[in-house]
Amino acid sequence: MKGIVIGQYVPGKGFFYRVDPRTKIVAVLFLMIGTFLLNDIYQVIGALLLTFILLVIGKISFIKVMKGLKPILILLIFTFVFQILLNKEGALVLDSNLNISLINIAFVIGLFIVWRLLAKFKKFNFLLFIAFIVGSIFLFANVTISGDYLFTSFNFRIYEKGIEMSIFVVLRLLIIITLSTILTLTTKPTDLTQGLESLLRPLKKIGFNSDDFALIISISLRYIPTIFDEANKIMQAQASRGADFSEGKLKDKLKQVISLLIPMFIIAFMRSEELADAMGSRNFIPGKPRTRLHILEYSYRDVLVSMFTVAFFTIALLLRINVLGY
Amino acid sequence: MGIRFNEVSYTYNSFSDMEASAIYKISLDIKEKDEFIALVGHTGSGKTTLAKHMNALIFPTSGYMEIFGKKIEHKRNKKIKYNDIRQNVGLVFQFPEYQLFEETVLKDVMFGPMNFHIDKEEAKELAMNAIRLVGLDESYFERNPYNLSGGEKKRVSIAGILAMDPKILVLDEPTSGLDPAGKRVLMELFLNIHETTNKTVVIITHDMDLVYEYFNRVIVMNEGEKIYEGEPEKLFRNSALIEEYLDYPNSIKVLKHLNKTLKLDLDVFKKTADDVLAEIKKAVK
Amino acid sequence: MGYITIKDLNFSYNRKQNVLNNINVEINKGDWVAVLGHNGSGKSTLAKALVGLIEPQSGTITIDGLELTEESAYDIRKKIGIVFQNPDNQFVGVTVRDDIAFGMENLQVAREEMIERILFYADKVQMKNFLDKEPSQLSGGQKQRVAIAGILAMKTDIIIFDEATSMLDPSAREELMSYIKSLHDEGLTIIMITHDINEALLADKLLILKEGEVFAQDDSRKLMRHKHLFVESHLELPVALDVANELKDKKYDLIKETLWAYVSMK
Repeated sequence: MKGIVIGQYVPGKGFFYRVDPRTKIVAVLFLMIGTFLLNDIYQVIGALLLTFILLVIGKISFIKVMKGLKPILILLIFTFVFQILLNKEGALVLDSNLNISLINIAFVIGLFIVWRLLAKFKKFNFLLFIAFIVGSIFLFANVTISGDYLFTSFNFRIYEKGIEMSIFVVLRLLIIITLSTILTLTTKPTDLTQGLESLLRPLKKIGFNSDDFALIISISLRYIPTIFDEANKIMQAQASRGADFSEGKLKDKLKQVISLLIPMFIIAFMRSEELADAMGSRNFIPGKPRTRLHILEYSYRDVLVSMFTVAFFTIALLLRINVLGY
Repeated sequence: MGIRFNEVSYTYNSFSDMEASAIYKISLDIKEKDEFIALVGHTGSGKTTLAKHMNALIFPTSGYMEIFGKKIEHKRNKKIKYNDIRQNVGLVFQFPEYQLFEETVLKDVMFGPMNFHIDKEEAKELAMNAIRLVGLDESYFERNPYNLSGGEKKRVSIAGILAMDPKILVLDEPTSGLDPAGKRVLMELFLNIHETTNKTVVIITHDMDLVYEYFNRVIVMNEGEKIYEGEPEKLFRNSALIEEYLDYPNSIKVLKHLNKTLKLDLDVFKKTADDVLAEIKKAVK
Repeated sequence: MGYITIKDLNFSYNRKQNVLNNINVEINKGDWVAVLGHNGSGKSTLAKALVGLIEPQSGTITIDGLELTEESAYDIRKKIGIVFQNPDNQFVGVTVRDDIAFGMENLQVAREEMIERILFYADKVQMKNFLDKEPSQLSGGQKQRVAIAGILAMKTDIIIFDEATSMLDPSAREELMSYIKSLHDEGLTIIMITHDINEALLADKLLILKEGEVFAQDDSRKLMRHKHLFVESHLELPVALDVANELKDKKYDLIKETLWAYVSMK
């Protein structure tokens, strides 16, 4: 567990690294809202191009952003398929019968085997998956051989508006994710919490201590890898007492989960007690004013980012309320 | 045969495998009975990795192991119940806090045997015997393990493994953090367990004094490789090896120093303070 | 009156059994005192009391003329810092830099001053090249050194080491001991809580605690001539001293001398 880094932050020196975290948080927030205001596919494509330009300006590797997309890939595909299948407006683009027949199934199974064999070359895993799905649909739609036994058959229709909407929705999600990735990729978690703290400071009037809040967040961030590492060790310690989490019955499993949780909590308590002592011995008193090593300073970059954000947001808003009259 | 390592390597190339230090082409035989082995080396030398392999907690990247006749390779074999291996080879972790969780000592010690579907009465019997074997009496049975002293917790955690009646007992740095007297008491306990049950005991330690005084076989790891295996005394006679990788036990250090500064000719291979004293008295008349 | 004076100190967690019983100790400025005791002798409790983390039932602790009370604790802690046993549980910052800054931030040291002190003290414990590293990327010994830098940066002149080496491996332990020695050479007052007699040997003054009471306190070399003190407090003398103490005949004088010289050489 050495060298685990929390968040997606990757050290670097691009433009956005030197923008104040407060500016970045607020800007990303407004850019996202702006993106949601757009209601037409051409506007979204325009916004996407702008986002890519941001990546270029920030010298952020496109591949890293794509990697950030990985966890929500399923969501993207789901939205895409959902939109395509359910939207029944506009002109008909595709109308074909899908025939589920014996030979087709045999072909699909063959295709599946080929896919699994090729899947050993992990690099193209995702492309292969797409190829498998498209190939299957193609087979169902087009292969008909006389004498084949037909199980069932249904209509598969795609409409113009469906394609448009699905692209629209997916692109919009893509923009949102790229924006948030720019934020998390170029901002240290500590700076992020400090920015958040600074933005939440006005809440002090209603009794919310943003200073302590930031400290709590940063200590949590610091201890996540430690606790993760510890959970792993506890799991192994219990596994060596026969609590194997992959073998065994449900009733035993419950007990085994308890055997994990209790040591984790107790160690966490002991840890927090010792940590409180260590902090106290270094003169930490909650609520007492402290100076800060890290301070946030605005620069011309923040002005640039703010201007861009205001411009984008205003245009999005104007387009939405249709001032330009079309 | 108890445990056999056959050219076992464990290397990591991705983040998820990084839970242990690497080891390279280790071959090793540990008998099922009557062995008392010390496993030494610096932090990161791979000694804990070796111990985790013995317990099938991690699997070799290459090479294979045989643990009580079961072959363990890189790929998990669905026919093998790895849990059974853990009953045969008991591994005690360094910190007892990692495993204690029940509200009484007795229940906690019963957790191991119950996991192996031993019925409750029998598990209780095993647990009681194990607790007595680690030197705690009946008054401890109903106590809360978290209210015990550090040394007592350690004993309970050892009992928790012993109650599974493993054939081989592996202990990861059981004496670290204890005072010298506490260390000695624990070592005597392990020796006693070893002698009364004939179980093979493998102990990971940093302490050369303990290695020299208690063990008849020592395995030395350095940067993932096994650099020595054999009797401790032979190891300490190999000055090149010791000076490069390890340290002498205090008794040898003291005698060596006397020989060097006073130009004496004492036999330096003495284990305890009493032996050292006798050697000096014999030499200086 | 010593630089640190502990007078009639009593402490118990549950009011039934005293963890610390009538402790009286005086420590002079620049002293290196080892507090030795078996597990559970109350030595860590004494350390906590010294920095005001626990409140004794009776007795006083005075540091540099200032009596330790709830109100004065803040000012006392400007003078006295503590390095704990577990390197992981005292690392507050997300990076080395943040951790060294933590104490100074609490003392409201100005930012420019902080930056300067961080560089200076990180350099002192040879962690200057690790300022942006996170705790999970550091070894136990390195974390303990960061803790020392964090305390030094608060300009304290007394440091307590509460079994600070006990979770380290032998090489890291030796390294940390050499840092402690150099801090003492610079005039800092060191209180070292340990159960390792080899470490205690390096100190000038030795305090043996047994079941919450001061069992013996004196010049460390004087005490070490009395084996029975150690046997009775469940401690063990290192081989060299054990042997030296047993060599009573005059003809062994040279050997005895050599053994003592060997012990203090380390």
